[in-house]
Amino acid sequence: MQAVILAAGEGSRLRPLTRSKPKAMLPVANRPIIEYVIDALLENGIRDIVVVVGYRKEEVIRHLNRLDAPIQIVVQERQLGTADALRAAESEITDDFLVLPGDNYIDAGSIARIKEERNAMLVAEHQNPSNFGVVVIKNGIVREIVEKPEDAPTFTVSTGIYSFTLDVFSYLQTNEIPDAIAAMIASGRRIRAIPADDWQDAVYPWDLLKLNSRMLRGIKPGIAGEVDASVIRRGAVRIGTGTTIGPNTVIYGPVTIGSNCNIGPNTVIMPDVSIGDRVVLEPFTYVADSLIMSDVTVGSHSRIVSAVFGQGCILADHTTTYPSASLIEVGDRIQREEFGAVLGEGVRAAPFTTFKNCIAGNGVTIGKGKTVIGIIEDGTRVM
Amino acid sequence: MCGIVGYIGRREATPVLIQGLKRLEYRGYDSFGIATVGSAIEIYKKTGRISDGEAGAAGLAGSTGIGHTRWATHGEPSDLNAHPHTDCSGRIAVVHNGVIENYAELKRQLEGRGHTFRSETDTEVIAHLIEEHYGGDLLAAVNATLPLLRGSYAVLVIAEDTQQIVAARDASPLVLGIGDAEVFAASDMTPLLEYTERVIFLEDGDVADLAPGRYTIYHDGLAVERPIELINWCVEDTRKGGFAHYMLKEIYEQPQSFYETIRAGIDERVQRMVMEADEITLVACGTSYHTALIFKYLAEPLCGIPVRVEMGSEFKYFTPPLRGLVIAVSQSGETADTIAALKMAKARNCPTLAITNMQGSTVTRVADETLLMRAGPEIGVAATKSYTAQLAALMQIVNLRCEGAFDDALSHAHLAIGDVLLQDVHEAVALCAKAEHVFFVGRGPFYPVSMEGALKMKEISYVHAEGYAAGELKHGPFALLTPETPVVAVCTPGPTYGVMASNIKEMKARKAPVIALGVAGDTELAEIVDIFIPIPNTHLLVQVLTASVVLQLLAYHTACALQRDVDKPRNLAKSVTVE
Repeated sequence: MQAVILAAGEGSRLRPLTRSKPKAMLPVANRPIIEYVIDALLENGIRDIVVVVGYRKEEVIRHLNRLDAPIQIVVQERQLGTADALRAAESEITDDFLVLPGDNYIDAGSIARIKEERNAMLVAEHQNPSNFGVVVIKNGIVREIVEKPEDAPTFTVSTGIYSFTLDVFSYLQTNEIPDAIAAMIASGRRIRAIPADDWQDAVYPWDLLKLNSRMLRGIKPGIAGEVDASVIRRGAVRIGTGTTIGPNTVIYGPVTIGSNCNIGPNTVIMPDVSIGDRVVLEPFTYVADSLIMSDVTVGSHSRIVSAVFGQGCILADHTTTYPSASLIEVGDRIQREEFGAVLGEGVRAAPFTTFKNCIAGNGVTIGKGKTVIGIIEDGTRVM
Repeated sequence: MCGIVGYIGRREATPVLIQGLKRLEYRGYDSFGIATVGSAIEIYKKTGRISDGEAGAAGLAGSTGIGHTRWATHGEPSDLNAHPHTDCSGRIAVVHNGVIENYAELKRQLEGRGHTFRSETDTEVIAHLIEEHYGGDLLAAVNATLPLLRGSYAVLVIAEDTQQIVAARDASPLVLGIGDAEVFAASDMTPLLEYTERVIFLEDGDVADLAPGRYTIYHDGLAVERPIELINWCVEDTRKGGFAHYMLKEIYEQPQSFYETIRAGIDERVQRMVMEADEITLVACGTSYHTALIFKYLAEPLCGIPVRVEMGSEFKYFTPPLRGLVIAVSQSGETADTIAALKMAKARNCPTLAITNMQGSTVTRVADETLLMRAGPEIGVAATKSYTAQLAALMQIVNLRCEGAFDDALSHAHLAIGDVLLQDVHEAVALCAKAEHVFFVGRGPFYPVSMEGALKMKEISYVHAEGYAAGELKHGPFALLTPETPVVAVCTPGPTYGVMASNIKEMKARKAPVIALGVAGDTELAEIVDIFIPIPNTHLLVQVLTASVVLQLLAYHTACALQRDVDKPRNLAKSVTVE
């Protein structure tokens, strides 16, 4: 059996985090999302994997090259849609195959069940079905898919994971796979709906925090760096090579810390925190429920809660992220979600900055002592 | 300057050899050949790329064999001149990398004794000489032949009816890979990475007798022990993966290789050497010469130390008076001219330092100390990541002499490099791809950056390009400026900004289209030029890096637009091991 992973899309609703990498490459618990998908396939003995890349493809290709599995790469020149991406992989497909989005988590058990079926899709219950393709099912057979409806008829959504036979390619008339499914149903084909056990998508930036804490449950504890004897550790903690943890630091797992970081002394890291490579957390800083990507520096006496920091942010001392909820408009949709801050790449903040329910774009600079709320466009200077 | 590879063990030799030769293709790619010990010596050789001709070699049997990929020095590329070469009887086969200087004389003597030569190569004399001494003991025959040869060589020899390879080196690189019940030999370690991580770097004058699962190394007739070293490169680094070209892959690896080189730091002995120097001379060729020039532009004003930069190939013709520290810069560590210059410096008792990417390469043995850059294997012929890694090593020396003044800039530079990789250059590419000539100009450290940009452009896209100091353009080359001759100018804030901007206006007055690299947000510059490519507004050291990377992307995409063979430009090889 073969598998096609779609990793060409940008994931525009996750901006500003997708500036230099596609959604599939965003790290959660310090591994790109696509790696969890590949793991789930390998666990099921599916080694013939084709990955469709497009947006910022060099990032993806470089990463895939480093994995052990022999992965075939095809390029989708323009990101027109999922069916178009699948067509790009057509020449590599010779057998029944699975299609999976590279930017959602799926457990290996669900894959084990769908790989036994020809022409099937994995479905899941979701509390906000109108962000997805809503599926109407009767007797375990898909009757209809409604893409991102205003009023969802059910809470059952498509996970975007399908099992297909080769003749699916003749149904790919438009650029989206759900249209092909509709065409198959119209021509009398039976598509089985199989419930997924554990499927997680991150549609908006703040969803990454949920995905992160879910993935942190699976980390393998291990200490490779230099950890001072006075450090207090509890729960699953993973620390990469070359990382130094200074005296009197407290770490309560699950926490994963990458390589070559410099943390402490006297820093507190609470559960559900991922920290990338080459990150500096200065003394007397408190971090909880956050996803900090590589090359970030956080000054001393900061309090970081419910925050996603993109690569290379440099935040001076006394930075605060303050979780609260206000109305935020992303992609024509207004919502209310509680989180502290989502910072794009290379955000710089002067001392005493407070982020409150804030999404700051790439390269935003913030002057001393400001409280910033809401959405700030890329490259803005807040003085 | 060719690549050789040998295998003896339990596998079929042919696939191992073909695979190995593909990894060595960067050393030369005008013809290739392999020979195995089957029922007799079986040989297949062919002009052209390995990937085009490998099918023909599939029939060769045997688990002992040698292979060769050639970059012609003696005799044009042809099937006959391709290695391996055999003696008159066809019982002995030889592959050779290097140059036999006295081959004409040896050939005359051998022909006088009745040997028939089939090729125009210097290598064939080795086969015939071994034939004269061969009486069933291949090792003894090779040992008797080597003293007759003058010049440089790394050779692998096989003979009919014996499962054995004899390997020897003098002034050309040769590495052994030690596997389980199998032994590999190759010009460098890239072909070995797939099979073993244990390697032995042979010394000049070593002769090795290889058998399945056993090897003995002799030096001056005595068996010697050479240390087995563990290699931490992984084979994924040598694969292209889904990238269209190695060069693109390597361009994208630059943030990482720069960071790794900075992080590796400078060991204490090298630090002492650098701090004690009151004058620094750098010897380098090609791209390394440009990095050396950048070092000069940075180190002289920033650390107040006199720096001289010498071209390796010109060094021996004027032999400057040498004082202070001499640094040899070479990616491969095998550049013949650079090594010769380094030896000359040593003879004058100067402390010597090698900056190279190849652990165990010749230059590391000649120099007193080595500063290893951490670029990993670079397969594309055009140097990209090794260039930035060299700059990382050299900038660390500047930083050291300035007591760590640039710690912050260097430790964050990889982010800025990562940033410019996202830069869209297609407008500039469209302009360069239809031009016949392109000028690259800059001032200060951006002058050598421009030279490097021009070198990249001409070597892979075949568009004629010249790098000039911006002020020099008026002294002649201005006559060449036309509306069809784009000028690529690097113009960033600093003491050179004002003059650079007026230079650009002068060029615009001659109607030459100008592509300018300036810092993001410089609207004044953006208004006077045709195409403006922003780089992040950062420290000068980092601007040097980011400007270089943009010029690499420009050259790469121009070459792609013109459908050139980016990884294997015509007439070039990566490591020039002949003078």
